[in-house]
Amino acid sequence: MSATTFGWLVLAFPLLGMLTVALGYRSLPGRSAGWIGTGAIFLAFLAALGALISMQGHSPEHRQMVSSLWSYASTVGVDAQVSILVDPLSVFMILIVSGVSTLIHLYSIPYMNEDRGFARYFSYLNFFVFSMLLLVLAGNFLLLIVGWAFVGAASYLLISFWYRRTTATRAGIKAFVINVVGDAGLVLGTYFIFKHTGTLDFLKAFHATEVGAFGHSSNNGDLLAGCLLLLVGAFAKSAQIPLHTWLPDAMEGPTPVSALIHAATMVTAGVYLIARMHPLFERAPAAQDVGAIVGALTLLIAGTIAIVQTDIKRVIAYSTMSQIGYMIMGVSVGAYAAGLFHLMTHAFFKALLFMGAGSIIGAMAGEQSLEKMGGFRKVMPFTYGAFIVGGLALSGIPPFSGFFSKDDILLVTAERGGWHWALYVVGYIGAFLTAIYTFRMIFRAFHGELVPEAQELKAGKLHHAERPTNPATGEVEDTDVGFPGPFHTIAERALPMRVAMGLLAVGALGSGLVQIPKVDFVIDDFLRPSFADSPLYASESHTRSGLLIFGIVLGTLLGLAGIAIAHRVWVARPGTAEVFRTRLRPLYVLFANKWYFDDLIGGLVVRPAGALGSFAKDTFERVFVDDTLVGGTTGLVRAGSAAVRAAQSGFVRYYAALLVLGVAGVGFYFLLQS
Amino acid sequence: MLWLPAACGLLGAMLSLLGRRIGVVQVTDIPPGETSVPANPLSRLSASGALALIGSLAALALAIGYIADYSPGSHGLTHVTDVVWIAELGIHYKLGIDGLNVFMLGLTTLLFAAAVIAANLREWERPRLFYVNFMLAESAVLGALLAQDLALFVAFFDLMLIPFYFLIGVWGKEPGRVKATIKLVIYTLVGSLLMLAAAVATGVLAAQQGGGHITFVLSSLQATPLSRGSQEWIFLFFAAAFLVKMPAFPLHGWMPDGYKAMPIEVLMVFSGVLSKVGAYGFLRIVLPLYPQAAAHFQTLMLLIALASIIYGSVTAFTQTDARLIAGYSSMAQLGFITLGIFSLNPQGAQGALLQMVNHGLVVAALLFIVALLAQRAGGSEDVRDMGGIAFRAPVLATIFLVVALATLAMPGSSNFVGEFLILLGVFKAKLAIAVIAFTGVVMASVYALRLFIRAMHNRAGPGVQSREITVRDGAVLVPLLAVIIFMALYPQLALRRSEGSAKLAVASAQRAAAPALETGSHGKPALGRTLAVAEASAAVKGRE
Repeated sequence: MSATTFGWLVLAFPLLGMLTVALGYRSLPGRSAGWIGTGAIFLAFLAALGALISMQGHSPEHRQMVSSLWSYASTVGVDAQVSILVDPLSVFMILIVSGVSTLIHLYSIPYMNEDRGFARYFSYLNFFVFSMLLLVLAGNFLLLIVGWAFVGAASYLLISFWYRRTTATRAGIKAFVINVVGDAGLVLGTYFIFKHTGTLDFLKAFHATEVGAFGHSSNNGDLLAGCLLLLVGAFAKSAQIPLHTWLPDAMEGPTPVSALIHAATMVTAGVYLIARMHPLFERAPAAQDVGAIVGALTLLIAGTIAIVQTDIKRVIAYSTMSQIGYMIMGVSVGAYAAGLFHLMTHAFFKALLFMGAGSIIGAMAGEQSLEKMGGFRKVMPFTYGAFIVGGLALSGIPPFSGFFSKDDILLVTAERGGWHWALYVVGYIGAFLTAIYTFRMIFRAFHGELVPEAQELKAGKLHHAERPTNPATGEVEDTDVGFPGPFHTIAERALPMRVAMGLLAVGALGSGLVQIPKVDFVIDDFLRPSFADSPLYASESHTRSGLLIFGIVLGTLLGLAGIAIAHRVWVARPGTAEVFRTRLRPLYVLFANKWYFDDLIGGLVVRPAGALGSFAKDTFERVFVDDTLVGGTTGLVRAGSAAVRAAQSGFVRYYAALLVLGVAGVGFYFLLQS
Repeated sequence: MLWLPAACGLLGAMLSLLGRRIGVVQVTDIPPGETSVPANPLSRLSASGALALIGSLAALALAIGYIADYSPGSHGLTHVTDVVWIAELGIHYKLGIDGLNVFMLGLTTLLFAAAVIAANLREWERPRLFYVNFMLAESAVLGALLAQDLALFVAFFDLMLIPFYFLIGVWGKEPGRVKATIKLVIYTLVGSLLMLAAAVATGVLAAQQGGGHITFVLSSLQATPLSRGSQEWIFLFFAAAFLVKMPAFPLHGWMPDGYKAMPIEVLMVFSGVLSKVGAYGFLRIVLPLYPQAAAHFQTLMLLIALASIIYGSVTAFTQTDARLIAGYSSMAQLGFITLGIFSLNPQGAQGALLQMVNHGLVVAALLFIVALLAQRAGGSEDVRDMGGIAFRAPVLATIFLVVALATLAMPGSSNFVGEFLILLGVFKAKLAIAVIAFTGVVMASVYALRLFIRAMHNRAGPGVQSREITVRDGAVLVPLLAVIIFMALYPQLALRRSEGSAKLAVASAQRAAAPALETGSHGKPALGRTLAVAEASAAVKGRE
């Protein structure tokens, strides 16, 4: 089979899985919905492997393959097909997406076991994976936009999965609307590109750009506008400032959902977009600079917020934001392979961390606050081990995977020279912060005194809350439906969870080895055909040894220093944190209030729009429309109402009958005539 | 043979009138207040309702036949019926199908069939009269869509209002029924009179100009364009009539009360079809006959459309009455359609045409869902009384979700391609307006999801009883849903058939607007180069 056939299969399996689970929600026995869902994604993963093998059979110049099924909208100059583009970049993405998703599905089976929305959960999850695969396989802008929006919709559904919680529905609509802002940016950006290239097809548009659709000097006004608008889309989906506020709130969804969409797949869409659009971005360097700077700011700001968060999932969420910042910065400075490499390693270790968090939350019976955790090291050894592996990879300690990929990005950034050195410095400050917040989380959850829940576990019982409460508000949950459930599962007691976490731990530990500077370049070489036209890509391999070694040493030292500080503050000398909080009060307040982004957006956008709406409803409609436009005719109204009353009372029948007969008569007249 | 679809409605109407006398199925006597579902749903079917249903289904079958028959890529009139009606005035009874109306025909017959099914699900006072009016409305709408003579169009346009006056005035919901009827009468009457005057003026002036006989046949009128000055005032008259119908800001004064008062089955077709006839009138009548005026007033019309979008959207997300949320959202969506028409290029027109069909489908389904929600929320249509309805109604929730996502024109939903083309058209015509219109896209997601969440999710309201959708209600919704999903997957079906006619409809207005555009926007005319590049890129060899 050709690679594109495999590509279509990759899309078909999750879609079929979704339909099977959704349509059979009443008749599927037991927990089979979970296994069907997992199986569907696993088949998609196998198909992705098939695409990989089939594609590698072609020579590197022929590894970009397009296939289209039917014409979607081709009219008046628009030429959109339902078409996929199978090339090394898309194959790389489908492998990661389907692979990690399979494990997360597997993990979900025991995790969601007690939930009444079990089948609904798996049909949403399959739909999500389908959407994400569609996004990365799309062969033209229109289909990309469709995948893009489907991902947003699926994430909305999963965030507000427990839909009786107002916190969850509010988080869901917030995520959806911010994603629509991104969609709008993407559509408008597409218009700018279409205006000059006259096509929506990726390869044709890139080719047209190459032969001068935007002129031959860089930073053409329309191209720049187009690229900046594409960045709006990328920032919204990848939670970069200032469009990031939905991501921490999205932690309302079940924890495997956080692992899947808010760590491993959806939020990386922006990174993929910039990499895919590189022929455009490289001709608009100003847009690349914007991307790089926003990525750098995000990684720094998110890192500072993560240090003061007390909700374990939110710490990981902010860490995700920060890590995506690295990737966005990477692909924006031309470090495509490095950025995508980090995307891969991050998918492994971040999914692993979220799964570990899910396990702890299980042991805590839904409680997510780090303040109330402690001492789980002894009683949850497997989860602890997973956390350590994920944490070390996240902190960039060699030889864990995150070390190689993060270092790779920063190295290429430094090589760009000039002001890019500032990004390099920010990147290492971020790495330092990463190590601190990661191990703060680990030390607080696993070390120290055993909390009552941990003691219960030690005694062989798993703590289950009598009346589950919403961890965000303390409200008693509505357990009729869509409830997080009084029963929870931990990795120590569920084999599928252990298998999923174990495999991810292997990835987090070892996946860095595929690309070691000066040793092997698997990712570089594999992706090269997709970036054959990029002058920036070619330069990646010319690495100065001095800089390389400096980076490795600096990265390792900063990581270790961060861990040491975390140990000192939260393990060796408890109470130090309190000292910091009082001494650095202004900073603490800034971080704890998340740099006031929520308030800013609320004040600048949400509240004015609401006020405008209230004005329209309460004042304009009433005073202008009703009183002035309509009120002038009140006299007529009074006079006319008598007529209507008469109409009701009987002659209406006559009137209608006459009317019908008259019209019918005319109709029959023509009938006879024709 | 084109009188057939229109006649079907009429036939249905007449049969309904005869209903009791034929006595196919007698209306069972259900005491008032009895709400339990009878064992045999047919026993609820009144004779007149059944006959109306037959008429509407026949019309639907014919319309499907016409769609299948219409060859893609063509743009001329087919199935023309042309009879001299009033020879002295040059008025012809001329009907015809082309790419502009073939899918509107499908929409109209589908929505009427769905609405008649919906109407059959409950008891009506004076059912024969109700169905007579209902089917008469269908005939009139079909006539207006098919008319190829200006006078005939005006006649059908006015005729279609009459049954609606009765449907609201007699079967409307209290309180506010009378007030709503009066408002609707006043607004639309003023519009109709303006339109009548404008139509007469067109015929007379064209005859003067041509020096020949008076005629109202559209193709002849198009051949003798009026002077620019006459075009302009006539344009404004027509625009007023059509904008009231849509409604557009600030001519929507009748809409809130009208929406609240109409029985939901009536509102389904009113909102789904009648509002589109106004937009359709722009494409059929105004742009071809008054191209210079259309170009002259382009910016004004775009601004009115933009105001409708923004005003409709912000109002929609502060309303708590579910019907009014649908109403104001409809106002915003009609704003998008107007935007597409007055971008005066083929992309905008194509998008507008597609959007008319898709919005009609979606809004009708949405309104019917509102009725189902009200049944589950103790009869209240206020979202504050709803909540948590999804609990025992996963199928209803899924259907509602699909409809809500289509309402906000999420990419991949049926409404997306139309909106994409509309905004592309506006983008080419006036960049700034396109950018502002995108705020409407974002706000649509707020009001549509807000409606969905407040009805289906969160904690259950005090009077809420979550029940799954019944098979009978499904009979109304499922066909609509099937078409909505089909249009999401394969919009090309409609696009291919409407392309030629859409291009033709805007061609002269586009020409009239072209010089204005070149001086207006100092951007270089990128079209020539775009084409060159398109050709170059077509040369990119297929890599597989």
